[in-house]
Amino acid sequence: MSTVATAKLASLEELEALRSSIRVEQQKTQTTVALCCGTGCQAYGSGRLIEVFAEALAKEGLEDSVRVRATGCHGFCERGPLVVIHPKGTFYQRVGPDDVGEIVAKTVKQGELIERLLYVDPQTKEKAQTEEQVGFYKHQHRLVFGNNGAIDPKSIRDYLAVGGYAGLAKALSELKPDELIEQITESGLRGRGGGGFLTGRKWRSCREAEGEPKYVLCNGDEGDPGAFMDRSIMEGNPHSVLEGMVIGAYAIGSNHGYIYVRAEYPLAVENLGIAIRQAEELGLLGEDILGTGFDFEIRINRGAGAFVCGESTALMASIEGKIGDPRAKYIHTTDVGLFGKPSNLNNVETWANVPLIVNRGAEWFSSMGTEKSKGTKVFSLVGKINNTGLVEVPMGVSLRDIIYKVGGGIPDGRKFKAVQIGGPSGGCIPESLLDTPVDFEQLTELGAMMGSGGLIVMDEDTCVVDIARYFMNFLCEEACGKCTPCREGTKIMLDILGRICQGKGEAEDMDKLEALGEQVQLTSLCGLGTSAANPVLSTLQYFREEYETHVKDKRCPAGVCRQLITFSVTPEACTSCAMCVKACPVEAISGGTRKGKGKDRVRVPALIDQDKCIKCRACHEACKFDAVVIS
Amino acid sequence: MEQNAAISSKDNICAEGKVESKDILRILESHNKDRGGLISILEEIQSEYGYLPEEALRIVSERTGRSLVDIYGVATFYRFFSLQAKGKHLICACLGTACHVRGAPRIVAELEQQLTIKAGQTTPDKEFTLETVNCLGACALGPVVVIDGHYFSKVRKSKVKQLLEQAGEGFDKFDIGKDERIFPIEVSCPHCNHSFKDKTFAIDGYPCLKINVATDHQQGWIRLSCLYGSYSVSTEFEIPEGMVVNFICPHCNSEIHSTSDCSQCGAPMIPMLVDGGGIVSICTRRGCKNHMLDLV
Ligand SMILES: Cc1cc2nc3c(=O)[nH]c(=O)nc-3n(C[C@H](O)[C@H](O)[C@H](O)COP(=O)(O)O)c2cc1C
Ligand code: FES
Repeated sequence: MSTVATAKLASLEELEALRSSIRVEQQKTQTTVALCCGTGCQAYGSGRLIEVFAEALAKEGLEDSVRVRATGCHGFCERGPLVVIHPKGTFYQRVGPDDVGEIVAKTVKQGELIERLLYVDPQTKEKAQTEEQVGFYKHQHRLVFGNNGAIDPKSIRDYLAVGGYAGLAKALSELKPDELIEQITESGLRGRGGGGFLTGRKWRSCREAEGEPKYVLCNGDEGDPGAFMDRSIMEGNPHSVLEGMVIGAYAIGSNHGYIYVRAEYPLAVENLGIAIRQAEELGLLGEDILGTGFDFEIRINRGAGAFVCGESTALMASIEGKIGDPRAKYIHTTDVGLFGKPSNLNNVETWANVPLIVNRGAEWFSSMGTEKSKGTKVFSLVGKINNTGLVEVPMGVSLRDIIYKVGGGIPDGRKFKAVQIGGPSGGCIPESLLDTPVDFEQLTELGAMMGSGGLIVMDEDTCVVDIARYFMNFLCEEACGKCTPCREGTKIMLDILGRICQGKGEAEDMDKLEALGEQVQLTSLCGLGTSAANPVLSTLQYFREEYETHVKDKRCPAGVCRQLITFSVTPEACTSCAMCVKACPVEAISGGTRKGKGKDRVRVPALIDQDKCIKCRACHEACKFDAVVIS
Repeated sequence: MEQNAAISSKDNICAEGKVESKDILRILESHNKDRGGLISILEEIQSEYGYLPEEALRIVSERTGRSLVDIYGVATFYRFFSLQAKGKHLICACLGTACHVRGAPRIVAELEQQLTIKAGQTTPDKEFTLETVNCLGACALGPVVVIDGHYFSKVRKSKVKQLLEQAGEGFDKFDIGKDERIFPIEVSCPHCNHSFKDKTFAIDGYPCLKINVATDHQQGWIRLSCLYGSYSVSTEFEIPEGMVVNFICPHCNSEIHSTSDCSQCGAPMIPMLVDGGGIVSICTRRGCKNHMLDLV
């Protein structure tokens, strides 16, 4: 791949020399077209844009002076494909192949803006010329994600150019393992995978544990459905994870590492694999790292689609090639983990924070955030929100700011209802508590949790009972079946929730759910079971009326639960466009046509035959005039 | 040399689907060094055959010394593995939370109905396999459906049938997202139902469509080509490129309200009724060529 210096770097000086030479070389190309090739943008066709750009540049004879850089995810997936043109940082969104010629001719060659491709703020109507001017980015603080837009994840030279592996060099040359652990502890870094355990303390236990060899593991399972920040780090900046792991391994005294990546993330596996190879070639990984005598190798293990394998003991069982059953943790995995040896597992984002802390110091890191939650956190902001995407904010920012300032609020003028945080084991937080800062303790107090950082925004068209049922169904399917409270408890709760959604709920169902939920919480074996009731308990706590409406009035106010709703057409709003008639799969709609010619034309509004209606919603979706109403 | 031979034999078995013990041995060989590489071994077998054939599992058991029960246990524990051959086209619908709140269950229901199978099953003719997944990490695009590796974003129920038809014929034949049909349509006001056709003025050789437009300062007519797919227009006063204007029916004088936002520039899109049933929506931004046609 790399053309220069594939020889191993034998010392820190050689690393710095290589870095300088890369920087000098990169300064020669003034203009860079950074093209987001994260999964979101690729799905919108950004892969094809690379070729089109290359062609267009070649046509203008610019192929040598302008670099096209395929980068990882920039986070603003809603507006993809994204293109940023440096050095000015001109930010174009929703770029198609037809726009490329014009971009090269105008912006690249003459520095002119193409108004049409700029992002327009939906509220202020102002046009943003650079990423910093876009509301979505303006209110963020991007550290872990800071370099995603600036580097090609497949190029270690790019990573070196932005200061990569300087943290490793510093750790190996200036710090003893103990001092390093002390620094991480002082920084206040806590695990980003869910539990929020102090990273430094975990490292210390593993370092002090008896047994050889020791293992350093990275949890890239990201089982939380609706979250994709770990994926974007692994895909967009894989070297930052590797660098963090090498530093951790040095501190802990380990020579073997594993990264466990979810089966659904092929691009992450690919980019991590390339990164490992490149780091090995340069002697930043493997034997005798940077000539210091320290050895560390990393292997990638692919998951095979089991949520519970994100749990630490199950993950280790899975790497061993077994069924991913968790075990009780009377003995910590830092003492007895993978292959029965001391093992230290951290989440992807946790690892990616490590080089930053080593580089800039514990004090810098702990200056951000709240008393007990330091640094930044990446959230995947999804659901009924204008700016879907990945956001990185300092700890302590309020949920309201994330949703309204960064996320741009709720689309289509709908009303906010709740935000679900923490994945399947998290909870729903209502409007009244939106000013809560993001902080491990405060979120847990509300019956939610930080989790891995999924933020799912719901509007008034989302039914919270349905959401609780959705998560319960997920957990029931994913429960490994080893312990009874979780296996049976989730099943019974799911049955009750299913009944409520079908209008067959009974008055005492809510109390039953609460009692059962608490028992499952107390008696389950692993984290999956002990948190399984959170979505139910938190929705019961904040949205009890909605449950009651389902049970007592047999009504679903959000219009989601099929058995509890009817569809009808408001004749005054109906334009007789016949879209609903066409959409209906069971021919339950009559009318919806126009008769006669010219001035004599009359409209026959559509009419839904309730006996035939199967409540599939097709007509509601097809109607552009809000004439099909749900009640 | 070894490598090349391995790659070509891989292509062969993929095509024929027959289990050759030498291929399984080769996979086992390549994982010899890893401790506990069973999951990787099974993953590799599955990626070659599309599923885990029984013969292959027997060979793995013999060679690794792990009981068949044990291997079967692993193969059934993880969602990724399948013990049955899959169809020619693999449809994977996301049921992750982000997609769920944006209506993914209805998309899956529609896929099930169109294919007359349940999620997890393969059609009897072995054409389609329908699977669901909990988040593909492309939540901004939800609901997401992946068909044979092509991502489809913001899938609507009404699009499902067309997607399946295209999948059956192979996506390579279609330039997805392009619609090059050009044909005349007659449209009318969604409020008063009066036709916009203007026989006094021809554009593209056909009677044009005449509607009134208004900016903050000016009002006048705009004449559009009635050819769907043509962007020829003429206006009474100059509308600067990029400006968003209001559309007003010349017959009932009511403003035509927007029902959705343009997917390309974010400006409001307004709907007009198509004679014969259906709707055409056009973007209200001058210069933006986005339009959508939904015919009955
Ligand atoms: C059911 C369950 C699923 C989990 N899934 C994940 C996951 O997908 N990714 C992750 O990083 N941690 C997950 N965890 C948390 C891990 O067990 C572990 O605490 C974490 O990886 C430790 O890293 P950290 O200290 O850096 O957070 C899960 C825990 C449970 C109980
Ligand atoms: S929830 Fe469907 S892609 Fe994430």
